[in-house]
Amino acid sequence: MANCFAFCCTSKYTNMKTNKFFTFLVFLVIIITGASCKNDEINPNDKNSITLSFDNKVGDKSLVLGTGAYTNSSGEDFTVTTLNYFISNVSFKKEDGTVVKFPNNYFLVKQSDAGSLEAELKDVPAGNYKEVSFMVGVDSTRSTSDISQRVGVLDPASYGDDGMYWAWNSGYIFFKFEGTSSVVPTNATGKRPFQLHVGGFGGMTTKTANNLRTVTLPLANAATVRGNIAPEVHLFVDISKVFNGTTQIKLAQTNLVHGITAAIPIADNYKSMFSVDHVHNDAQ
Amino acid sequence: MKNLFLTTSILLLFLMVFSCSKQPDVVIEPEKLFYQPSNFQSPVYKIEKNPITKEGFELGKSLFYDGILSRDGSMSCGECHRQDFGFTHHLHDLSHGIDDQIGLRNSSSLQNLAWEKTFGWDGGVFDLDLFAISPIENPVEMDDKVPNVLEKLRKTEKYPVMFKNAFGSTEITSERFLKALSQFLLSLVSANSRYDKFMRKEEGVIFNATELAGMELFKQKCSSCHAGELFSDGSFRNNGLPPTERQQVVYRMVDGVKKAFIEPVIDDGRMRVTEMPEDKNKFKVPSLRNVEATKPYMHDGRFQTLDEVMNHYMTTVTATQNLDPLLNQNGKLGIPLTATEKTQIIAFLRTLTDREFLTDKRFTP
Ligand code: HEC
Ligand code: HEC
Repeated sequence: MANCFAFCCTSKYTNMKTNKFFTFLVFLVIIITGASCKNDEINPNDKNSITLSFDNKVGDKSLVLGTGAYTNSSGEDFTVTTLNYFISNVSFKKEDGTVVKFPNNYFLVKQSDAGSLEAELKDVPAGNYKEVSFMVGVDSTRSTSDISQRVGVLDPASYGDDGMYWAWNSGYIFFKFEGTSSVVPTNATGKRPFQLHVGGFGGMTTKTANNLRTVTLPLANAATVRGNIAPEVHLFVDISKVFNGTTQIKLAQTNLVHGITAAIPIADNYKSMFSVDHVHNDAQ
Repeated sequence: MKNLFLTTSILLLFLMVFSCSKQPDVVIEPEKLFYQPSNFQSPVYKIEKNPITKEGFELGKSLFYDGILSRDGSMSCGECHRQDFGFTHHLHDLSHGIDDQIGLRNSSSLQNLAWEKTFGWDGGVFDLDLFAISPIENPVEMDDKVPNVLEKLRKTEKYPVMFKNAFGSTEITSERFLKALSQFLLSLVSANSRYDKFMRKEEGVIFNATELAGMELFKQKCSSCHAGELFSDGSFRNNGLPPTERQQVVYRMVDGVKKAFIEPVIDDGRMRVTEMPEDKNKFKVPSLRNVEATKPYMHDGRFQTLDEVMNHYMTTVTATQNLDPLLNQNGKLGIPLTATEKTQIIAFLRTLTDREFLTDKRFTP
């Protein structure tokens, strides 16, 4: 390949007369290269999917709803009853810098629903992808769009008890993290619950806090999409980072967050909870 | 000679009156469920994204008056929004929901919704199609979940047929459900008050001297906020209501059982939505159309009569945080008015009552 490029490049030193000859040569080279590259697996017409798999954890422990007992970096004990978050605007960057975007795929990851932990992006062109990027939340376009565009996980009337939408203050809850902790003061019902709800797409009629966060992660081992390879990118999602990503958050003080301004440090923190553990490139 | 003069002048007068009385630009046909009154601007809602059909309207109306939208079947939208009272909750200061629970606010009137930019006293909802989720899922209003409501509708005999008539198939989706409700809500156009007919110079509609004086005063004193033909500029303002202390019953789950707790009511108005201190105590300027019928008044329904409302503007405007500067001019709080002027303004406000709308059989369950 490198040879043929050098060869082709020489054509810029040619004059009109020799042009035809070089065009012919270039064709020849392409044909030869095509033939000689028979064994190179990247066929630009091939497509396959990449699956992002979200492995929610607390530090190095796996996350178990209800029964799992954990401690955050401030030494506060906690259990987790709910962990839900939206993932959108996924994109993959190839070795050569080209980016493949998925603006119309929205995912609601729920720890309580194993099926929701895998986000499949279909029809990714064959290539070697070195970087993945996604948004935590629902971008402002979809957060304000017409009801007819709000289908699937974006249907604001579909969540039932999961409640991923503020009905009285039109907006998706991007991230919902609930549980209990002995450091939380007892509430009216004698319980010690914490509820950290993050939303806020920037406001419709008035500008408000924007808690949309974009996460970009390198893939040390490229995701190699081929006709027969549908890579799986295995992500570790360490929710303990919610308490110490960039700002130290103590449950004793911050345990009920339903607003958008109060949620800013939480969104800043959870931006760093994602990491790529490994990539599977198994042939099908 | 004298007789001839008289007859011709009468004839001339007749002709003049006749040619002057302009017909309303838009004629209301019984089958026309949504129209733009000639004295209104163009609507905010994009009607073309949800064209109103007879079948869609019928479905929306049926849903609006059906308790099936609530957890135990007891509360319909129509319970808190009664037609004869301008689609408000008559005699309830704070709205009364399921299990006799008291809500945060006085129920809004429902009229001319296609012209509104935001919904609710704090404008938290920016699309009419998205509004209904809020009362349905609010634990103190209807306390259900939309997916469950849709499931209940699917099991009925009549709704799948009605959805088919309205949308072409029996499929019941949240989009269709919400759009049908919107079709009914959008059709609630009120523009046939005596005021409207007077403005459109319709035949035989006149204002007496008190009403005319009231209209003039209203223009000077009130219309910077209650602006234009909708009698609201859609903005959020603090009109100086004195702070009050109220309690509300809040239900919480304790070990899987719902228990009642008494908590103070704190209503920061627009600040609830924007979280900005400059929006504290601000509420959406309400339309004053049909105001005679929509008592009690204000976001918390604290005033029972228009007289009390006027007394507030004249004497009790309070300099709470973010009081609108219009109500604090030259170091004087409120709007100074004489007793006569007060009567005149109230007389004008009564011309905003649209009897045809309040009794329109098409909107009645
Ligand atoms: C328990 C009483 C109650 C029920 C039931 C109820 N509402 Fe309301 N409605 C209210 C109150 C109170 C407000 C003012 C809300 C606020 O400002 O927070 C309101 C406001 C509204 C508004 C906003 C009007 C505006 O101009 O801002 C709409 C639209 C509306 N309701 C439609 C409905 C529909 C549709 C239903 C049925 C699905 C319904 N309501 C059921 C009490 C109720
Ligand atoms: C500075 C803006 C402003 C001015 C001026 C003003 N209003 Fe209001 N008005 C409001 C706001 C805001 C509300 C709602 C306040 C609330 O509920 O907290 C309101 C509420 C009302 C209501 C209650 C309506 C309902 O459905 O509950 C009436 C009636 C009313 N105003 C009449 C008047 C009259 C008459 C005048 C002139 C004398 C006037 N207003 C001047 C802003 C204004």
